Amino acid sequence: MFFHIVLERNMQLHPRHFGRNLRDNIVAKLMKDVEGTCSGRHGFVVAITGIENIGKGLIRDGTGFVSFPVKYQCVVFRPFKGEILEAVVTMVNKMGFFAEAGPVQIFVSNHLIPDDMEFQSGDMPNYTTSDGSVKIQKDSEVRLKIIGTRVDATEIFCIGTIKDDFLGVINDPAAA
Amino acid sequence: MADEDYNDLDMGYEDEPPEPEIEEGAEEDPENNANEDVPGDLVEGEDKEEPEPVERPRKTSKYMTKYERARILGTRALQISMNAPVMVELEGETDPLEIAMKELRQRKVPFTIRRYLPDGSYEDWGVDELIVEDSWKRQVGGD
Repeated sequence: MFFHIVLERNMQLHPRHFGRNLRDNIVAKLMKDVEGTCSGRHGFVVAITGIENIGKGLIRDGTGFVSFPVKYQCVVFRPFKGEILEAVVTMVNKMGFFAEAGPVQIFVSNHLIPDDMEFQSGDMPNYTTSDGSVKIQKDSEVRLKIIGTRVDATEIFCIGTIKDDFLGVINDPAAA
Repeated sequence: MADEDYNDLDMGYEDEPPEPEIEEGAEEDPENNANEDVPGDLVEGEDKEEPEPVERPRKTSKYMTKYERARILGTRALQISMNAPVMVELEGETDPLEIAMKELRQRKVPFTIRRYLPDGSYEDWGVDELIVEDSWKRQVGGD
C-alpha cells in the first residue's frame, strides 16, 4: 500500500554547499540520500514530493559541518499481510517462483501454487497447468496475495500465494 | 466612589492585606482584579520562576565573550578552510583565520550564538547583534 506521509531527517551539510543556494543543496542531498531507501518502520521511500520546512542549522563541533532538521513529504510503499499485489515474475525454480512488485521481492512457494500447475524444467523453467492453458514463467505478470512479510531495519521481504480465487497469471508475454 | 479610592490606594502598596475599613464582601472582587493587573503589567519587575525557551526579553550580556569569539573564529575559519563561501570582499587574504576575523570585524559571520543558562533555557544572539570588544589585539596579520 502506498502512503503519503511527512518524515523528518537531520541532514549534515558540508561547508562547501553553503551560500545562496543552500536550500537547494539540502533538498538535492536529501533526495539522493533518501529516495529508494527502505526503512522497516515506514517501508520503501518511493519519491519526495515536497519539503515541509527546513529548521535552523546546528553547527557540529570540530567538523564545521552543519546539521539541518528537514521535514519532507514523501510517498512510501509498504506491503501488508493480506494485500493483493500485481507483480512480475523474475525467477522460476522447482521450489516456487520469485516476483517483484516495484522494489519489493515476493516469493511464492510451490505449496502455494494451485495443485494442477506442474513445474516444467528446461531453459525456460515454468509452471503450467495440465492442459497447458496457463503458464507462469519469467516476465509473466501475476496477481498474488501477500501472506507473510519479513521486515528488517533496511529490507522488506514477502511471501505470497496464488492459491486463491482470482489470483494467478494476468498477462503472459509468451502468449501475446 | 469608594471602589476607586480603594483601587488607587492599592496601587500604592503592593501586597497589603485587606484593610479593616472594607466591610462588604463585594469589595474583594475589584481588589483581586487590581492585584492581578499589577504583576501582569510589570513583567520585567519581578523574576518569574519558570524559564521557558519562548521569546522574552534577553538578559545576558550584549558583549561577545572572548570564548564565544574564539569559538566563532575557530569554527568559521574551519568552514572557510573547507571551501565555504566567504561573506566579505577579499583583498588578497588567504589565511582562513584571517578571513574569519575580517568577517567578524564586518559583522558578516552567518552564525547565531545559543547561550545556555544554568536552568537549561537559552537565549539566541546573532553574531551581528553582539558587541565585539576588541581589547585582545592579538590578531593574525591585524591592521
